[in-house]
Amino acid sequence: MQLRDRYRIALLSAFALGIHGIESLIPTPIPWLRPGFANIITLVTLILYGLYPAVMVTLIRVVLGSLLSGTFLGPAFLLSLGGGTTSILAMGIVFIAMPRLFSAVGLSIVGALTHNIAQLIIAYFFFVQRIEAILLITPLIMLLGTLTGTLNGFISEMLIKNLKNSGQTIQNVIQ
Amino acid sequence: MASCTQLPESGVILNLRNLFDITTAADRFLFLILFMLSISGIFFVRELLPESRSVLIDVNGKTAYVFPLQENRTIAVEGPQGRTIVEIKGNRVRIIDSPCPHKLCVKQGWIQKGSLVCLPNSVVITIQGPESDDRGIDAVTR
Repeated sequence: MQLRDRYRIALLSAFALGIHGIESLIPTPIPWLRPGFANIITLVTLILYGLYPAVMVTLIRVVLGSLLSGTFLGPAFLLSLGGGTTSILAMGIVFIAMPRLFSAVGLSIVGALTHNIAQLIIAYFFFVQRIEAILLITPLIMLLGTLTGTLNGFISEMLIKNLKNSGQTIQNVIQ
Repeated sequence: MASCTQLPESGVILNLRNLFDITTAADRFLFLILFMLSISGIFFVRELLPESRSVLIDVNGKTAYVFPLQENRTIAVEGPQGRTIVEIKGNRVRIIDSPCPHKLCVKQGWIQKGSLVCLPNSVVITIQGPESDDRGIDAVTR
């Protein structure tokens, strides 16, 4: 791996971690409901630099984020790790297989949806174990995931356009 | 050391037209499908769920058995006067036979909600469901 890639991953992880931290301070009606703005950085990384840096950024964000919030290896960490890796792999597969089919918006929705499904499956097997409860909450979570995913997708798309328009990518900043 | 990233002079303008233009047809299709699926899911998931109702069989005021209403079976319940034979079949319950003199409980036939009582043999069979279904009104006096 080139040195530049490492700098890039470090910088993007720091962005993601910062957003993740700020986001966890925003109060929400349901404890685990979050808009997932950190996914914007993951998505931009995937589209601009490829799947491997995006996976790295996700893993670093999840592990460091849980260490900072004190939930490392706890239930929230398990949910976060499962959701994060599933969603980046799903977005990566869709993006690599059909690069022109979806814009960042579609990819973000795919990511949000797989993130939610992975978390629901983990929650079922490890914590809740009542299929009725999971099934009841699934449509609501899917709806919220679709909406936040769309919002994140638009933000990502604008970020990518701005980075491309300015003629400077993140690599220029850190050289 | 290069300078910081500059904002483009013709920045991306945030307006609805712009938002629509940056999405592909597949994006919109995916969004609509998921949106409609989840909205309809919120309303229909309750009805799709199998009703988890159970049959409570009390003997002498103590709960002797609890069975799910969905599973078909025939049970012989041992009461003070003998055996009361209870059948659960197709989400319904009935008493097939009982040692009581008038066989009133047997004449009640199949029930889907409420309860079956065989007083002489002290057997009470109650169907319990999700709370909202239980509170049916038996009678109103004015």
